[in-house]
Amino acid sequence: MIKFDSVTYVYPTGVRALSGISVEIGKGELVALMGENGAGKTTFIKHLNGLLKPTSGRVYVDGKDTRSLSVAQLSRKVGIVFQNAEDMFFLPTVEEEVAFSLRNLGFDEGTVRRRVDWALRFMELEAYRNRSPFLLSGGEKKRLALAIILAWNPQVVAMDEPTVGQDSVQKEKLKEMVRQMVLQGRTVIISTHDVEFVAELRPRVILMSKGRIVADGRAEDILTDAGLLEGCSLLMPQVAATMSRLRDLGFDAKVISVEDAVKSIVERLRAVEHTRGS
Amino acid sequence: MSILEGLRFYAGETAVHRLDPRVKFLLSVLMLVIVVMYTEVWVLMALMSVQAAMAYAAKVLGRWLKTMKGSLPLAALVFLLNAAFFLSTGAYGSVQEMLYHSAALAYRLVLFLSSFSIFFLTTTPEEIGLTLTSWRVPYTYTFAFISAIRFTPIIAQELKDIMDAQRSRGVELDRGGPIERARRLVPILVPLLANALRRAYELAEAMEVKCFGATKRRTSLRELRMGPKDYATLLVSLALFFLAVYCRVFLL
Repeated sequence: MIKFDSVTYVYPTGVRALSGISVEIGKGELVALMGENGAGKTTFIKHLNGLLKPTSGRVYVDGKDTRSLSVAQLSRKVGIVFQNAEDMFFLPTVEEEVAFSLRNLGFDEGTVRRRVDWALRFMELEAYRNRSPFLLSGGEKKRLALAIILAWNPQVVAMDEPTVGQDSVQKEKLKEMVRQMVLQGRTVIISTHDVEFVAELRPRVILMSKGRIVADGRAEDILTDAGLLEGCSLLMPQVAATMSRLRDLGFDAKVISVEDAVKSIVERLRAVEHTRGS
Repeated sequence: MSILEGLRFYAGETAVHRLDPRVKFLLSVLMLVIVVMYTEVWVLMALMSVQAAMAYAAKVLGRWLKTMKGSLPLAALVFLLNAAFFLSTGAYGSVQEMLYHSAALAYRLVLFLSSFSIFFLTTTPEEIGLTLTSWRVPYTYTFAFISAIRFTPIIAQELKDIMDAQRSRGVELDRGGPIERARRLVPILVPLLANALRRAYELAEAMEVKCFGATKRRTSLRELRMGPKDYATLLVSLALFFLAVYCRVFLL
């Protein structure tokens, strides 16, 4: 679906944000792009819909070189939700805001109405359809930004720091929506340094530092490697840190989510009980 | 956008950075006056060489050149407008003369920007504030001015982010005729204005928290004092300026 082939990007200011990145992301994959501030995550995301074109190397989306397509053409396939949702809003109501993108992309009025209804229902924003986007709460704004993108049904959804400024309930909702998007067969790419959020989703993790990919693999392997994470200014998720300390007592140290931790602890206790019983 | 880059301070430890900001400001004004007095391209070239030398000494040559590059579209517009005006009025006899004068006027504009670019590139907003305060400008106005300078790069970055966000939802900013393009600016300008207003409220709150305006008499941790190097630069600049005035009035 997406292929980065030795991509280097240097900003006009001379800052080298990506250095020889090569990676492939398949259809329907859930990927967390992690790393310290300035690691190159946002630059990576901006290459997905052609907002930035590589200084050298190639980016392919669905087999097509992004240099040969416009941002509008690529946006049909790749929807990006930026960190500051308010950067998108300029219309008087939530409903019009969602419809604007669809009209931009050339959908007919019947489809626009249908898609707006679907996107607002999916993001639980129906009650706010006639409200000003600027009057929504932080979490609702983020969901509206996602609704705007999902309305045109892109195959790839990329989110830049979606959990910044979100409370726990909003994060839970967001997590649920990410799971549903993956179930719908979309490729979801999340750029974040929120390890707790990523731990519960258990995606493929691409770890970046100083414009390079330093690790690429299962969340269970990367988020339990304290040394690797420290090099990227990240810490292990709390569950992983706890399980790692309990490793000597025979607990599985490659556990990152609460659910798996509970399962592992219960299994261990049962085993101990069994040994005592026999 | 690159014009704005040239009006932003970049920290440095060079002789130009250390120069008293009042001297640097006066130097920029003097260069500006010379630019106004002369339309001869060779004089303007000489002036630009002095500026280039200063930018090199201040290690901001690249950024200074960027300002000039950024001013080129504006200079081209000035050139075209002047050429059209001279053509319609027949103010100049030959085409070469007309082109020479239009080019000189466009060149002047580039020099206007470049002379102040060195000042802004090498002077901190605090120093600009101190300069204005030393000239008895009320601090409220000084604060408004330095806030404007400080926020310009931030708003420029916000503008880029908003453009990216709108382009990502299918807004094609470069397509269509002038009216269509102007209409497409609405999705850019509304969020920009909303963000700027929000920032203004936040700044006002931060100022209130820090008791802005609580005392009438303000003191400053750092005060501007002219040193021997500042006086020497001032004297040389004034001497060269009066030489330029003398040449204009009596020789050229």
